This record gives sequence, structure tokens and C-alpha cells, in this order.
Amino acid sequence: MSTIQVEVQGLSKNFFDQARGEVNAVTEVDFECRSGEIFGLLGANGAGKTTTLRMISTVLQPSDGTARVLGHDVVREPVEVRRNLGFYSASTALYPRLTARETLTLFARVNKYPAERTKDRVEEMIERFGLGEYAGARIEKLSTGMKQKVSIARTVVHDPPVLIFDEPTVGLDVLNALDLQKGIRELRDEGKTILFSTHIMSEAERLCDRIAIIDKGRIRACDGLEGLRAATSHHYLEDIFVHYVTGNDTPA
Amino acid sequence: MNPRTVSALVANDLRQLARNPRLLVFAVALPLVMWPLMWYLTSLTTERRQERLESRTYLYAVAENPASADGATWLDRALARVGDDGRNGDADPEAGPAVLFERVAPPDDLPAALDDGRLHVHLAWEPGTEDGGAPRAVLTYRADLDASGTAEGYLRRALRSTRVEVREQRLAAAGFEADPADLLPVERIETASEEQTSGLLLGRILTAIIVLMMLTGGSIVATDALAGEKERGTLETLLTTAARRIEIVTAKNLSILSVALITSILNIANIVLWMQLDIIPAPEGLKLVIPVGTGLLLLFLYAPAAVLLSSALLLVSGRSKTYKEAQLLFAPVMLGALAIAAIPVLPGIALRSAIVVVPIANLGVAAREILTGTYDWPLLAAAWAVTAGAAALLARASVRTLSAEKLITASDTDAADLAGGPALFPRRVPGWFAVLWALLLVWQLNSGGGIDGRLLITINLSILGAAAWLMIARYRLPLRETLSLKPPPAAAWLGVLIAAPAGLVLANGVVRLASLAMPIPEEWLEAMADAFGADLPLWQMLFFFAVLPGIFEEIAFRGVLLHGLRTRLSRVPLVLIAGIAFGFFHVDLFRIPPTSLLGVFLVIAVLRTGSIYPAMAWHALHNALALSGARIEQIGLTEEPAWWHYALALGVILLAFRLMSRPKVS
Repeated sequence: MSTIQVEVQGLSKNFFDQARGEVNAVTEVDFECRSGEIFGLLGANGAGKTTTLRMISTVLQPSDGTARVLGHDVVREPVEVRRNLGFYSASTALYPRLTARETLTLFARVNKYPAERTKDRVEEMIERFGLGEYAGARIEKLSTGMKQKVSIARTVVHDPPVLIFDEPTVGLDVLNALDLQKGIRELRDEGKTILFSTHIMSEAERLCDRIAIIDKGRIRACDGLEGLRAATSHHYLEDIFVHYVTGNDTPA
Repeated sequence: MNPRTVSALVANDLRQLARNPRLLVFAVALPLVMWPLMWYLTSLTTERRQERLESRTYLYAVAENPASADGATWLDRALARVGDDGRNGDADPEAGPAVLFERVAPPDDLPAALDDGRLHVHLAWEPGTEDGGAPRAVLTYRADLDASGTAEGYLRRALRSTRVEVREQRLAAAGFEADPADLLPVERIETASEEQTSGLLLGRILTAIIVLMMLTGGSIVATDALAGEKERGTLETLLTTAARRIEIVTAKNLSILSVALITSILNIANIVLWMQLDIIPAPEGLKLVIPVGTGLLLLFLYAPAAVLLSSALLLVSGRSKTYKEAQLLFAPVMLGALAIAAIPVLPGIALRSAIVVVPIANLGVAAREILTGTYDWPLLAAAWAVTAGAAALLARASVRTLSAEKLITASDTDAADLAGGPALFPRRVPGWFAVLWALLLVWQLNSGGGIDGRLLITINLSILGAAAWLMIARYRLPLRETLSLKPPPAAAWLGVLIAAPAGLVLANGVVRLASLAMPIPEEWLEAMADAFGADLPLWQMLFFFAVLPGIFEEIAFRGVLLHGLRTRLSRVPLVLIAGIAFGFFHVDLFRIPPTSLLGVFLVIAVLRTGSIYPAMAWHALHNALALSGARIEQIGLTEEPAWWHYALALGVILLAFRLMSRPKVS
């Protein structure tokens, strides 16, 4: 039976931007994610996806509303929240002068993974992500695809129940992107809760169990693909997205 | 804090540093070689130059004018001793002059000859006067040409010592029997021990050396620590892990400290090694013998200074968005820290002075005193606590940079930055008052005694008033609200009347308490009496030392400062910080405790009445009472109050505060 792992209620974020003045980046966002599902946040650039995910990962403070990860509040218990999640985005870089093995050990330790099991866990990750040959090489020497694998291994090394992937395929070629998607699906099948943001329709269509369409900081719709199809009588996610974002249907 | 997390982060930093060969070469290896190399080359070139100058032949010419016969003899005698420079009195007289001088014909065009080196120095004699005055030698040369300048120097010194010799001969000839050298001989006896002398030497420079090494070594890691991680995107990775912000900052501080320590040890060992090899000369009079106990005490003393510096570096790094920005900001930090570290070099500054509240400088002065054998324990503890407190504040500030969204997420600005004006003021007010304090400190340290107290206080108050006006104008602060220019409840005036004398009694109690730790010297009390113009007419005294401070200090402290701090602090810290800040502005160490107490009372008065006027009245009344109390001794206040006086005074103050409360609006 799947349980609710992430709960977001009335989450809002306002900030000042020199060019735009006061910006409501995220406004009263509600959703919840369960174990064993991939929950997608689908939105254009600047729709508020990253801001939402950064609030859940405690990097940003919400202006209003709450978010809880495994029942821990992001404002009151940020350390417990971060301990239970792995955060991956195109901008979370790795230390170039460490090797893959050193990187995994570091992040297992920093995320308070039990000391006596760290070594085995790191080797397990190296094997699982096929890093064996390169585990002793410095990350700066690795190819993009290998770096990405180390990055995912870094995200899951402390075995967190919740994983956040913020536009993870940005900048990857097709094969690497597909590889990554495959990895995410496997993690879902192991029972992890996955929050996945993207602006690519096909990716959301193929990967997500439920999709929240976010636009100008607000959630416009939230359902499984079939539910969204039924509600809008469109088949393709692209049309569904346009339906919710513009309020108009695209001409057939 | 989890030690496992911190140690993992430190190990990570150090490992990466060790794998950065370019950084290691430029920041560690190169300085190790450069230092001795520079010394070596400098001493080598100096030696070479000296040799060349000594071995060459200098060309001189003498003007063909009717010189006195004396002049010619003098010149011969001078040339015979040229190069001796008076230092080789026991040199072999057979060896001849130490430097060769060759006479050439006087040129037609003197400047041209000097310019192209045909001549190095030209001598002309001005004839002696009728009444027995001696002839005068005029030397012409080119100071910018090495040979010409040196030739002039040799000849001038030789002529001078000839003059002394001739004078002594003439004295003897005129019947002066004693040897002129025996006239008023001076002998020196120095009672400082060798340790004390070299302790003073070392104590003066030690702080500056430590600060310099901390900063140069530490900045290698500090730039990379937060700014570099931000730029590379690894900071966000780190911020989404279970590491606490304080753990990250502690780890970064430890990394900075370890690298600073390692590079410092390497550098010192390096210099000592080169001294052993005689490539670098060891400074004269420096005996590097420090007893183990003293060494440990110094280590303990400098620990908070090291943490303070590394926190400062980290703060700069945290406040910068890029590597480059951090490097730019390091320069002013470095200069500021070195300026503070240079304070122990200044003569006459004792730890038992306002310097005890200046972080780093206080430890520098303390170290100097320890090295010369003075151990002022309560003040040592105070100095240590002040610097440690400052270090903790800076560390906290760097923790905050990890939560400051505009710093970690690239583009956004805070509301206050954008709105400017009044919204920005609360954040800027500590900086303004810090600068103001530094200004007044420098002014106080340099004004010294002998300045009319009236002038002193007028200048102090003008600085405060001008700063208050500047802040109000610059941040467009609403005047009425900022200065609490509102009518107080009527009962507040009664409160002031009873509170002022009670406050004075309590201030006296605080002075007595404080004097347990630092006894007030008699001279200080006398100096204070002089400063407050004991011989002024009463009305002038009251005007300058009661009315004026009551107005201007209240505007600055209970007006502008309190207004700025209000939105940022909750009530108790607000009262304490605003009050104690006022105390610190009375730069004199012994005045800080009682004036801090008065500051606290006055802040409470403003907060309770919502008006600045009762505080102004209280302040003026307090000063007036203090002055007349000191003056009119026949009142009988000469006796120290008993404990129940203090208890009574406290009760009266509490009652006064009650009277000051604004009626509740229902």
C-alpha cells in the first residue's frame, strides 16, 4: 500500500527581483506524492518548478504555506527533511577533483548514512551504476554520461525514500536522457517517491504516474495522464498543457 | 553538531586542495623559495654595489680660485682619510686611504662633466673672512648618479672629520688641556632583561606576522570555500544534504585554519632554516626563547584571533557570488586586519585601556605585555572574551550567508535593497555606528590631555549630531517616528525626577563592582576631574556636560540607533545592545560599565514612554547630579553607599519605570 511521503499545502514564495519588482514565484501550491510513484511537475521555464522543489529541499524558505517530507516540516526540521531526500538537478555539480568513490563516500557520510555500512553501500552503488572501471578516476576526467551516473549515485547513496529530480535531462543527449529515465523508473519500482520536474512533454508523458501542470506559480491541474485526457478530451499532453495554460484549445 | 560530518567535509576540502597542483605551486611552494631568494639577491646586489663603489677611483676637481692656504691643507688631510668614515680608527695607517680619489682639471662646463662622468665631485673654496672665519668648502655633485653621490659622501665626511681634528688641535693650542673626548662622557645602563628587550621586539611584530600568515594562507582556501563552490554549483549540492549550515561553516573554518596553520609553520620553518644556513641574517637582539607556559598562553590567546580571521575570510567568501568578487573583497579585509594588528606597535598603549574592546588589537597588546612579563589577568580574560565573541558573531554571520537566498540563488535581491531608504536603514545602522565609534576612538586616542573639556565635548557631540542628521537624510527617515518626538505620559516626568538620582546610585554600584576586576587608578580620577572643568562656572559646566549631551546623545542613541535596531531585535536584546553600545561610545574603559547601565535605563525609558523627552531630561539630570555631586562635597555624598542604598535605588528605578508606562489603549 502506498503511503503519502510528501505533502505540500498552500506553499507560496514571493521575492523581489531587480528587474521585475515583487514576483510571486509560487502561489498556494498543493499536492502530495506517494511512495512508488513518479510525480511530475510540468511547466514552462520560469513557471515556478525549481522554486517549489527548492522549498521542499529546504534551500529556500517558503513565504507561506507548509511542506512536509515524511511528516517533517521543511521549516522546523530542515535537517530531517534533507536526510530523507536526494536532490538532483542540472545545477547540482560534483567536486571535479574527487573520484567517484570519494564522492559517494563523502555524500553518504554527510547525509548521516550509518558508518559501518557506508563502505558496502558505496561499492553497491558503484556496481549498480556501472562505475567500476572509473570509480578511481577523478570526476573531471569522466565523460558527461559517466558524470551523470555518478550524480545519480550521489543522490541515492544514503538511500533516501524521497528523490527530487529538477529538470535532470537538461543538456543531455537523447541516449543519456533515456538512460537517466530508465534509472528513475527503476528507483520508482523500488518504492521510492519521486518528484520530477520537466518542461518536456514527451518526457512527462512517458515517465510520470501523475502530472501537475504548473503555470505562473500556480497548479492548473493535477492528475494521471488518463484523468487529464478525460477532463480535457485531448489525447496528447502537449494539447492538454496548452489547454490549461492558455485556457484555449489549440486549433485542430 | 556532528563531528563525523564536519571531519568528512574538512577532509574533502583538504583533499581537493592537495590535488590542485597549480594552487600548491603558486600559493605554497613559490613563496617558500621566493622569500629567501629575494633576501639573497638583495644582499648579493648590495654587497656587489658596495664592492664596486669601494674599488673604483673617484674623480674630483678643485676650482681654481684664490683659495686660502688653509683650504689646500685641509683638503690634503681630508683626502688622506677619505673612505675611513671615522670607523676604522685602528686601521693600518700604512695602508693608505680606503678609497681612491684622483684629481682632474676643473672642467669648463661643470654640469656636463658631472653628467657624463668625467668628474664625480667638484670642490670650491669660499675664502675665510677678515675676522678669522675659516674658509668654506662647496661641493657640487649629482645625487642621482651612483658614483657622484658616493664621491660627495666620502669627501664630505672626510672634510668633517678633518674639521673636528683641526678644531681639537686648535683648542689644545689655545691652552685647553683636557682631551675633548673626555668632556661629558655618557654611559648607558639598561635594566631590562634580555628576555624583556627581545620580548618587546617580538611582541610588537608577532600579531602582525600571525595575521599576515593567517590571511595569506587562509585566503587560499577561503576564496574557494564558499564563493568557488557557488560558482561551480557544488554549494547547492551541499546545501541539499543533511549537513547543517553550522556544520558546513565549521568545516570551512577548520579547513581555512588548518591550511593557514600549515603554511605558517612551513614559512616559519623555512625562514629559520635559511637563517641557519646564513642566507638570511637573523634580526639582531631577537632571542627566540619563550618558556613553554608563555608559549601555551600565547597559543590560547591567539586562538580566537585565528578563528576571527578565518571567519572574516569565510564571510567575505560567503557574501560573494563569484571567485573573482571574493578575491576583490579580500584586499580591504587584509588591509583592515593588518591595520588593527599594527596597533601593538604603537608606543604607550596598555591593555588596561579602551583597546581591550578592539578585537585582535587587544590580543596583540596582551601578547606584547605577556612577552615583557606583565600579566593582567582580568583584562587578559576580557580581551580574550571580546575577540572570541567577535569571532562567534562573524561565524554566525557566515552561517547566515548560507541561508541568504539572494546569495545562493544567483539573481534575486531582498526587498530592502530594492526599496532602499527607510527599509534599508535597519541593516545599515550597525555599520554606521561602528564607523562612528572607530572615528571617536581615534579622535580620543589622539586628542590627549590639555584640550579644553568644553571643546572636546562640543566636537564629540557635533560628530554625533552630524552623523544622526546624515543618517536621517540619507535614508529619508521619518523624523517624528525616528526620534520618538511625541509627548510622554505626564507621570513620566515624575518618574524622571526620582529615577535620575537612583540611577546615579546604581551607576556608582556598577563602578564599584567593575573596580573589583580593574581598580581605577588615582591619576585617572584626577584627569576626569580636570576634564570636566572643575574650575568652570557652574552654568557653563551644566550647559556643556549636562544639557548638550542630554540633547545630542539622546538624538543619536535613543533616537537614530534605537530606531534602526528596533525592527531587528526582540525587546531584551534590543535594550541590552542599544544600551551597551552607548556605554562603548564612552571610549574610556572605566566609564563603559556605568554609562552602559545608564544607556540601558534610557532605552527602557524611551520604549516605555514612547517619547525621547523623558530620556533627554533623565540624561541631563543624571549628568548634572554627577557633576555637582563631585563638586559639592559638603553634601556628604563622600561616603560610599551601603548595600541597602543600592536596593532602594533599584526599587525606585522600577517604580519610575512603572510611572513611565503609557496608558493601555483599550
